[in-house]
Amino acid sequence: MGGLIQVDPTNLMIEKTLFTLSCLIYLLAAVGYTVNVFGKKEWGGFAANTLRVALLVHTGFLVMRAVNVSRVPFVGHYEFGNLFIWATVLVYVWTEWRLKDKYHAVGAFLMPVVVAYIAYLTVIPALFARITVSSAHNPLPPVLQSFWLKFHVSSSVMGYAGFSLAFATALMWLARTGLESRPDLLKASPFINKLAVSLPRQKTLEEYMYRASVFGFLFQTVMIITGAIWADASWGRYWGWDPKEMWSLITWFVFAVYLHARFTRGWHGKRTVMLVMVGWVTMMFTWLGVAWLLSGIHSFG
Amino acid sequence: MVRENTGLPGQPDAPESPLRQILKFLSSMQLGIILLLLLAAISVYATTKEMNVAIGSIYTSWWFVGIMAFTALNLFLCTVERAGPIWRQVFKPSRAVTVEAIKRMPSHRAIKVSRVGSDPLEAAAGALAVGGLRVSTQEGPDGTVVFGEAGRFGHFGSLITHISILLILLGAMYGALTGFETRGGGYAGESFNVPEGRFQAAISKVTMEYMPEGPQVRPRVISEVTVTRDGRVIKQGKIAINEPLRFEGISIYHSTFLWVPHLTITNPDTGRTEGPVKLYDHDRYFYRDRELYIHTLAFFPDFTMNHQGMPTSRSYATNRPVLAYQVVYPGGTKEPWGLLELNKPLTVETKNGPLELTMVGFENAAVYSISRNLGRPWLFTGSVLLILGLYMSFFLFPRQVYAAFDAKSTSYLVGGRSRNKLGLEQLMDRIEEEIRKRKGE
Ligand code: HEM
Repeated sequence: MGGLIQVDPTNLMIEKTLFTLSCLIYLLAAVGYTVNVFGKKEWGGFAANTLRVALLVHTGFLVMRAVNVSRVPFVGHYEFGNLFIWATVLVYVWTEWRLKDKYHAVGAFLMPVVVAYIAYLTVIPALFARITVSSAHNPLPPVLQSFWLKFHVSSSVMGYAGFSLAFATALMWLARTGLESRPDLLKASPFINKLAVSLPRQKTLEEYMYRASVFGFLFQTVMIITGAIWADASWGRYWGWDPKEMWSLITWFVFAVYLHARFTRGWHGKRTVMLVMVGWVTMMFTWLGVAWLLSGIHSFG
Repeated sequence: MVRENTGLPGQPDAPESPLRQILKFLSSMQLGIILLLLLAAISVYATTKEMNVAIGSIYTSWWFVGIMAFTALNLFLCTVERAGPIWRQVFKPSRAVTVEAIKRMPSHRAIKVSRVGSDPLEAAAGALAVGGLRVSTQEGPDGTVVFGEAGRFGHFGSLITHISILLILLGAMYGALTGFETRGGGYAGESFNVPEGRFQAAISKVTMEYMPEGPQVRPRVISEVTVTRDGRVIKQGKIAINEPLRFEGISIYHSTFLWVPHLTITNPDTGRTEGPVKLYDHDRYFYRDRELYIHTLAFFPDFTMNHQGMPTSRSYATNRPVLAYQVVYPGGTKEPWGLLELNKPLTVETKNGPLELTMVGFENAAVYSISRNLGRPWLFTGSVLLILGLYMSFFLFPRQVYAAFDAKSTSYLVGGRSRNKLGLEQLMDRIEEEIRKRKGE
């Protein structure tokens, strides 16, 4: 589908190649982390390095995209989705770099989430006619041409990145707890046993989950605030009660509840894990559900 | 919520008065969680409704506003309740504690050593300092206690966060109560009244600026406005999308723009010409000579016909300006619509006789939304404080550690307090390791 901007064919080809390449390398990293978590420890370093390369190639794609649309590549599901994937991997790579190889197991749970996000931009629209993700090159409508847009979008992808990471660790918590309750399974399959051994203890996972949530929460707050400031400047009101705004507030509420629940000593374990999972679902709904199931003025993003 | 253990000898537990118990509930985090979940659940439900319906029947309903007000009350009471204790915790922490109190702390351990040395507490003080704490020693009821703390201003984090949310809620309420929202606009030379704000705005210039991508993209429209009250100029300036004109808490925003064709109407019988008159889309101009209305349907700057044979515009460039119009009789009967090109007079036959229409020009008009929001400074302050408060809550990591030496069992007793449990455990591990190292264990 052609956009309104005429893109030089060579540039277009570079952009598309970088995108495909980064997707493939992400996939390879996902495989690497998965093999690692099933006991082949030597794959951990390989996966980590592969992921860094993927991140680099993906950065190249974003730069090329920016060149081709002559602006920050922040608008529409395709650009936002790419930025979101990029931010998620960036935050992961950064934490992995700080926490070293004991953190590789998290990669095995985060990467499938990332791959699912990639699928939304690539194969899912091909499978479902109702879902269209256009990668056309379009200029920015005037209302989006605001200084605040850059803050709003960058904070939102960082917030989403934090919540994605929190979600991945919540999945790990469930996996570890599930495996512990099935000693028969662990005995029967050395394969699964290796997985169980690779997963960090629940307490550690809860701490990862908490840190990632806090990170996401801080940026989600900045996103809501900058969004309000921007709406105030563009539409004359800082809060319009439109579904996208409401769902990001709902996500914020859910994570606020989770954080409060954690402050009181009583809440840990399954209940907090569930709250984080619900928070992630509301976040995904803010991004996708609102666009496909509800309508509002945010239909551009 | 679980109160922090002060570590001081406990006061006897007297039953609290019912009033106190109610107040405690109203200020509790449990109630806060319930309110947050309730607001979330209602919001989920509301977003399944049509937006305007939701605004009318949910978001502005007395019960929804009531829940928000209740949330504000909860936050306010929590802030009042916690301000004193938090202040004391930051500025007057109970440094001197008993050995028993250390054993009751959220994280505590006894570290047995084989060598005692002349000043056993020196090793503890050193270990706490290595753990990044500010160390002092205090005489407690059971002897000397080493006290270390860090990140104490982090205790203010939740307080600041809560106050900021309170400011935002109150600012929104104040803004809603004292504000207004209306529309206005016009073309250059027109002015409009805003009685709610007791001012008049005169538009002196409306210009269109095409985007670099070309005229297919919606252009920017920039207008110049002078605001007066009782004849006195109170504000003057430019208005464009994302660039409102602000004064007295009032903002005039560019909302959209319109095309305004200029028409002249001539009576072929007498040769008398009326106009040029400036008409918006869907305006009706009464032409007395023929007792009928000229009704404007739409203006197309770059006219073409689409596949269905309907007029449309290829771009925002004024390559081929065309006005679609219709003659309407006072009874409501209409002639078929017609098209009028720039500077091409058109003779129109009507039931009441012929007339000649000419579009002699056109211009742009700006449409504004005008609102007053006096809550804005509150909201802004609240937002800045919210981010600061969150940062302090989560990243300053307030922590306190107490260490005593029990000569009888040759053990160090170390106890710590922090909301960050895992961080505290890591700190305690570090301190234990450091004490053992210092003692050559
Ligand atoms: C969103 C960011 C928020 C953060 C970081 C936060 C932080 C905290 C913290 C740390 C506490 C424990 C009190 C203490 O030990 O000092 C707390 C308690 C509480 N929070 Fe929040 N809060 C937030 C938002 C809210 C909101 C939106 C509400 C409104 C319902 C709320 C209501 C309460 C209440 C009522 C308590 C109990 C106060 C007490 O008993 O000490 N909080 N909050």
